[in-house]
Amino acid sequence: MTGWPLIEDAPDTADLAKCVHCGLCVNACPTYAITGLEVESPRGRIHLARAVAEDRIPLTEAVQGHWELCLQCRACEAVCPSGVPYGRIMERARAQLDAAPPAKGWQRRLRRFALRNVVARPPVLAAMLTPVRWFARSPLRGLVRAAGVLRLIGPLGRLEAQLGRPGRPFRPRDAAGEGEVALFTGCVMGELFGDVHRASMRVLERSGADVFAPRGQGCCGALSAHDGDLEQARRLARANIAAFEASGAEAIVVNSAGCGAAMKEYGELLAEDTEFAERAEAVAARVVDFSEYLAGRDLPAGRLGARVAYQDACHLAHAQGISAEPRALLDAVEGCELVETEGADMCCGAAGIYSLIQPAMSGELRARKADQFREHQPDVIVTANPGCQMQYEAAVREAGIEARVLHLAEALDEALTSD
Amino acid sequence: MSAELLKALRDVVGREHVLHKPEDLLVYELDGTIDRSLPDAVVFPGNTEEVQGVVRACNALDVPVTPRGAGTGLSGGAVPTRQGVVLATARMRRILDVDPVERTATVEPGVANIRLSEIAAEHGLFYAPDPSSQKACTIGGNVAENAGGPHCLALGVTTNHVIGMEVVTASGEVEWLGSHGPEPTGYDLRGLFIGSEGTLGIATKVVVRLVPVPETVVTLLAIFDDVDSASETVSAVIGAGLVPAALEMMDTVTLQAAEAGLRCGYPPDAGAVLLIELDGIEEVVRGQVTQARAACNEHGATEIRTATEPAERELLWKGRKGAIGALGRIAPNYYLLDGVVPRSKLVETMGEVARIGEGYGFPVANVFHAGDGNLHPCLLFDEREEGATARVLEAGAEIMRVCVEAGGALTGEHGVGFEKNRFMAWLYSEEDLENMRRVRGVFGNEGAFNPCKVLPEGTGCGEMAHQKGALAAAGPDAYV
Repeated sequence: MTGWPLIEDAPDTADLAKCVHCGLCVNACPTYAITGLEVESPRGRIHLARAVAEDRIPLTEAVQGHWELCLQCRACEAVCPSGVPYGRIMERARAQLDAAPPAKGWQRRLRRFALRNVVARPPVLAAMLTPVRWFARSPLRGLVRAAGVLRLIGPLGRLEAQLGRPGRPFRPRDAAGEGEVALFTGCVMGELFGDVHRASMRVLERSGADVFAPRGQGCCGALSAHDGDLEQARRLARANIAAFEASGAEAIVVNSAGCGAAMKEYGELLAEDTEFAERAEAVAARVVDFSEYLAGRDLPAGRLGARVAYQDACHLAHAQGISAEPRALLDAVEGCELVETEGADMCCGAAGIYSLIQPAMSGELRARKADQFREHQPDVIVTANPGCQMQYEAAVREAGIEARVLHLAEALDEALTSD
Repeated sequence: MSAELLKALRDVVGREHVLHKPEDLLVYELDGTIDRSLPDAVVFPGNTEEVQGVVRACNALDVPVTPRGAGTGLSGGAVPTRQGVVLATARMRRILDVDPVERTATVEPGVANIRLSEIAAEHGLFYAPDPSSQKACTIGGNVAENAGGPHCLALGVTTNHVIGMEVVTASGEVEWLGSHGPEPTGYDLRGLFIGSEGTLGIATKVVVRLVPVPETVVTLLAIFDDVDSASETVSAVIGAGLVPAALEMMDTVTLQAAEAGLRCGYPPDAGAVLLIELDGIEEVVRGQVTQARAACNEHGATEIRTATEPAERELLWKGRKGAIGALGRIAPNYYLLDGVVPRSKLVETMGEVARIGEGYGFPVANVFHAGDGNLHPCLLFDEREEGATARVLEAGAEIMRVCVEAGGALTGEHGVGFEKNRFMAWLYSEEDLENMRRVRGVFGNEGAFNPCKVLPEGTGCGEMAHQKGALAAAGPDAYV
């Protein structure tokens, strides 16, 4: 007997059974840190999932709300001695919401539509984001900001606050075999963070890599998976697997922590797919994070005279276990003074599209970062994921400091070019 | 839950700080172990006055109150056995004062144990008691359970590190127990309160002692073929006059789980390992390391690794502190026991524990504070198997009985809680228990404040069927 409406993508009983409710996860959880409620902690959310699985309670709106407040940052996974695959449980729990009485039906449908038909389609995404890029660099922006117009439309105002100064887009155009190390370019990343990709290419080249951006690749599917749309995530994964197989690349370097974590788990996502399971494992095994790749190579030291606060991207530190490598790369740069701020490894509240859906919780977490920035006054804030970068743009403004927000690749690129 | 109670609670703490929807209450039915019971409401007071207000409101309406920290306890102490109200300290997480000269800190009860050492670090100080759950468990919960930890062998447990407390008693009075500084005169009510498992009241401010971070720390990982040689080494180390900062043992089942889950460099094929930590002034530590290594070698250590760098030592401790949770990787459930035996009875008792586990068909993982004879056998089982929970409790009761008969105690650091309240009769006469009840009565109403914990047969606690079975299996309940 089970209370899951969609048996096929229901959280695995064995995954749920791994939780021994020891409670060691609670303090690692950002939503518990803010609310102090165990029902907003990993143990609480898993206990709810078990109760639904055992048909003890129905999948009510309150239950859905507790799952939807989860950032899916996976900080709990990193501290769980029992190895509970919390991220996987939460993705599958969210998949159930499609078949449950809708708590926020239209919102979820809109989100689904946008993720499937805009984010995952490069031409549509490009058409949507070109005006955004133009606006971000135009004098109009200053006027709009001064007038406070966007604040009237909550989500737009929040987005504006997160927007940096995006450069030209970067779209993957290289043919198969044009290099050995493939750069993964993603969806929004390529449109709004073209500069990060160009910086990544330059730094990788300085490390001696023969790097290229093979065409045919697209959105990694992480945003869809986190939203519980596993079908769409699998579709996108298959397309990327085919593209990277065809590219002949030995390594796939990813500079977005969320994408890297998702791609390293392609094997898991497609485990039931007879045609793709093995191919997914093989491609996943070639995925490396930008900092992970560089850690094993020779890079000139470079120079960057600045106080730098590195902020872990959750899906890099917690999902991929990479926190020492980016710091070591920065530490090797001459003149770079690393500042450790409290809670550097706690989620900033960006969490993919979370900041749009849960603005209150996202804002609380951003404020914590802003407090730390105000206290430590760094010149540069470095992170390794586009969503976090956007959230830190807003946090810097909230803190009222002058710090610049850079991707690790941009910081290293700057250090190497000023060398 | 009655509308009257809900209104009373909301009047005290505000509407947003009371949970009462069934979905919201669910996780508050458990702590880190087996017992479960759903509360009617969970309330989150923000300060002493609100704690007092909640306790008084519940007393007035005759509703039981159960205090809760982070819910990491291991004897059902935070489980609301008679339903009623769970009073959670999660909003009371302020650090009120750190005094590096007096070497004290004053904090609210909801502050996590690890936080104390974090805030003390900049003054070269730390907070000594370090339960394995220290990243999550709260100082309020530590006070209730008189929590220990690996590093309590040389430095003592919670009661040796808490100088004074502001408490709200079970009857709803605000009192100060102990002092802010030197030992007070008169009865040691502070000592009585610490370890009372949240049955006498709830601490609302806690003054803790901070101690200097030692100059040199060396952690040895000694590898043995079997538990017996490791146990004999423990006696030899202590017998040689050494008081290590920590002296911990893990058996092969535990090592395999910990290594699989935490990749801390343990030898998964070893029969047992000892973690021996020595700290102090460099010259002294050097001599102690030589002595400890000699004792290990003499008793058949196959290899001894030495960790001096903080990162290496942290890795060894990460494995030990996550070991119990890591058992979740090899079994869906475990029943973690907490018993104490004299060190001289270690080998014999371990044999008995293994025999009992085998008899019931439950694999046993052992991880424990060997230095003070505090055993933590873990029985591995699957609660989804028919009758498994009842049988594992029976096996647990037999193991506790063995500890008591060896001249030991029912708990080293996890508390009696609800889990073991009925075994108290093995240690105490009815007259002793009655005296304890009278002490409890001084602080408030036994039946209303964390009822059914510590003392057996509290009013209206009922008796769970599996507990009856466990008692019957373990033998007569005349005290030994």
